[in-house]
Amino acid sequence: MAIIETAALTKVFPGPDRREINALGPVDLTVEAGEFICIVGPSGCGKSTLLRILAGLEQPTQGTMTAEATDLQRPFNSMVFQGDSTFPWLTVHANVEYGLRVRGVPYRERDEIAARMLRTVGLSGYAEAYPYQLSGGMRQRVALARALANDPEVLLMDEPFGALDAQNRALLQDELLYIWDQTGDSAGGGARKTILFVTHSIDEALVLGDRVLVMTAAPGRIKAEIRAPFARPRRTHELKRDPVFGELSYQIWEALRDEVDAARASELRGQR
Amino acid sequence: MKNRALNLISPVAFLVIWELLVALGALDRRFFPAPSETLARLLELLQNGELTTATVITLRRMAVGFVLAAVPAVVIGLLMGANRMARIILGPLITALYPVPKIALVPMVVILLGIGETSKVAIVAISVFFLVVIHTMAGVLNVEQRYFDIARNNGARPWDLLTTVAIPASLPNILTGINLALGFALTVIVGTELLLPQGGLGALIWKSYNVYDIPTIFAGLIVVALLGWAFTVIMGEVERQLLPWRVADAAPARRRLQDEPRLRRFVRTWWLAVRPFSFTASVTPVVLGSVLAAYDGAWSWLLFAITLVGSVSIHAGTNLINDFYDWKKGTDTPESLGPNRALKEGILTPQQVFWGGVFFFALGSGLGLYLVATRGLLILYLGIFSVLAGWFYTAGPAAFAYIGMGEIVVFIFMGPVMIMGSYFVQMQSVNWNVFLVSIPIGLLVACILHANNMRDIEDDRANNKRTLANLLGRKASRWEYYVLIGGSYLTLVLLVLFGVAPPFVLLALLTLPKAAGLMRTAAVHEAPARLNKVIRGTADLHERFGWLMIAGILAAMVAQVV
Ligand SMILES: Nc1ncnc2c1ncn2[C@@H]1O[C@H](COP(=O)(O)OP(=O)(O)OP(=O)(O)O)[C@@H](O)[C@H]1O
Ligand SMILES: [Mg+2]
Repeated sequence: MAIIETAALTKVFPGPDRREINALGPVDLTVEAGEFICIVGPSGCGKSTLLRILAGLEQPTQGTMTAEATDLQRPFNSMVFQGDSTFPWLTVHANVEYGLRVRGVPYRERDEIAARMLRTVGLSGYAEAYPYQLSGGMRQRVALARALANDPEVLLMDEPFGALDAQNRALLQDELLYIWDQTGDSAGGGARKTILFVTHSIDEALVLGDRVLVMTAAPGRIKAEIRAPFARPRRTHELKRDPVFGELSYQIWEALRDEVDAARASELRGQR
Repeated sequence: MKNRALNLISPVAFLVIWELLVALGALDRRFFPAPSETLARLLELLQNGELTTATVITLRRMAVGFVLAAVPAVVIGLLMGANRMARIILGPLITALYPVPKIALVPMVVILLGIGETSKVAIVAISVFFLVVIHTMAGVLNVEQRYFDIARNNGARPWDLLTTVAIPASLPNILTGINLALGFALTVIVGTELLLPQGGLGALIWKSYNVYDIPTIFAGLIVVALLGWAFTVIMGEVERQLLPWRVADAAPARRRLQDEPRLRRFVRTWWLAVRPFSFTASVTPVVLGSVLAAYDGAWSWLLFAITLVGSVSIHAGTNLINDFYDWKKGTDTPESLGPNRALKEGILTPQQVFWGGVFFFALGSGLGLYLVATRGLLILYLGIFSVLAGWFYTAGPAAFAYIGMGEIVVFIFMGPVMIMGSYFVQMQSVNWNVFLVSIPIGLLVACILHANNMRDIEDDRANNKRTLANLLGRKASRWEYYVLIGGSYLTLVLLVLFGVAPPFVLLALLTLPKAAGLMRTAAVHEAPARLNKVIRGTADLHERFGWLMIAGILAAMVAQVV
């Protein structure tokens, strides 16, 4: 069953000198419930814009989006924003429980959830620290913990691991897959989360996703769709020895290269 | 950081040269009285109460005008920042009136409100209002959009956006506005008092000018300067308290102790060793007791200073001696979490710590004996009692701390005894009212100890140390915590209801959110690390509660004088 569907979604921003910036689209996208979708594309092609529209933070200029929430008890989506998205005036613990607090979850329950999520991202020791006392990668993990604490149906993740070192990145990829698999179990509490995951790393996209969408240079459209046919649960580092992995990685890079060149060229034009 | 001392060179040199020039006759003392003469006049004016009265009048006008204006100003500023419509409608008026020199409004205000107190308060209020509105609005407008996006994505409704994003994010700006407004209000009120000289520092200066009393003019100016400086210091502290999340730019990187010049190393080493952060437990009751006496009409700076330094010395001595014995017993090895860093890091030898403790005890006892000699034997009895209680606290076969009496002993001695003692030093008598007012503080001190015992329930049980906490068990000891905290707030309210304390002490209710937070944490957690936070938080609560009560009594005095 499709949980999100978009039809000819486009976004045009007003630019300088009354020009218009075609940021996105048209995008036709169908996301099945419980799917893990990774999105790659050149910088500035509209990936963040797409996620923001799906999150309801931005209105599309044209086209439609339909979202089918199944569980009204849970929030429909939570976003892990690109870049630092912690609230500097809240402690790490308070940041993580923020969504639960504004939704009125009782203190005891949300305290427990936040502590658990902080353990998941390896920041238990920093519960009472303020964001200025953390590194960029640690703050990114706080944002991740906050999104997970909300327990949404759809996770929108905009380069969530971009600021992380290689080791933490690998650890958190495994952790994310684990959480995602778990929520799929009947024991883990019903329906599996749907994840849309933007990344610049082709390997990361293949390791995590069921499908990898390659976007064109701005205004971003979906240029290609590659299925990652690996069995789950996946062991991320073993996957990379699979010859199929190398082949798919090559295919994605082929699709992406022209677009990166095109984006470069248009950026240079823009500079002149 | 050496520069701190260098900072003093220019003002000191300035004063010395001035003094010399007057002494040599190069400056006419009729126009430029020597600094020593000004100082003598300052003390004289303090003694006969003229200066104090003038200061209180000025401060009262400032305080009333400030509160009247700042509260609506913050509300309107928030509204204008958050709502475009409000900005469009109110903006032009505010920006047009903001730059008008407020002192130039005095004639209009007098025409409208007469020359009484009202017009002076109004001038302050007008000065404060615009500054705070503008800074608050700018604060909200400068909040980055992405914070609102994040909040909304997490389910925040418009009201949440205001309370969890707009207000906390613009608080630094609001405080800057308030800080500027305080300085500005001081300037404007003194100026107004010069124009309408009816009491206050400005009037004092103006009247002295009329009779050519130049030293008094300087004395008045010094007080104005000191007030301005005090506001800055207080606001700095308020900012540190309210904005713990700001990058600590105010605290420069500390040099390692070993690299400091000798004198500074000496001072900092002992500063570390006496654990000054624990002092509030003894400072708060002394200040409260003394201020209560002042409220009842007896005050001497000298006695206050002696009481304060004396009790802090005893406290410091106790800390040092305790550390020495802990070290002797071997509980404070380098691996353990013992509090004394100076000893642990080998900066001080155990012998030095011991003799340091003896020194502070001697100093404290000396000052105490002076009080006994001049203020009466009651001090001696209280002193002996306290020393005995301190001794039997952990020593002897039936040490209080080991038979579940810790809270009661601490309650009595760090609450009523200290507060009533300090009161007695000033007043030469005590009464039941002082005892009643001391109850909340005593309960909160006991609560700090109890928080400690809650953390150590398991350890103490293993060591056969019976505390109320492990006698009661985990669950009931939580109730004891609630009762102690709730009891202090309840007592406070009752004190006011029965007219024992002035209503202003209800200021201490401002700490209620913190107390609620602590009780919630204590309700949920058993882990020592979490309870450590409860201990520190309770100590913090005691401190803030105490100072707000003190502030309340001072406010009641200010309200009384005029
Ligand atoms: N609020 C805005 N106003 C105007 N233009 C915008 C706005 N947000 C994005 N854009 C433009 O839309 C285009 C797409 O931006 P977007 O942030 O979606 O790119 P992206 O694919 O996420 O890039 P990156 O990989 O670098 O994060 C860019 O050209 C950008 O300049
Ligand atoms: Mg982006």
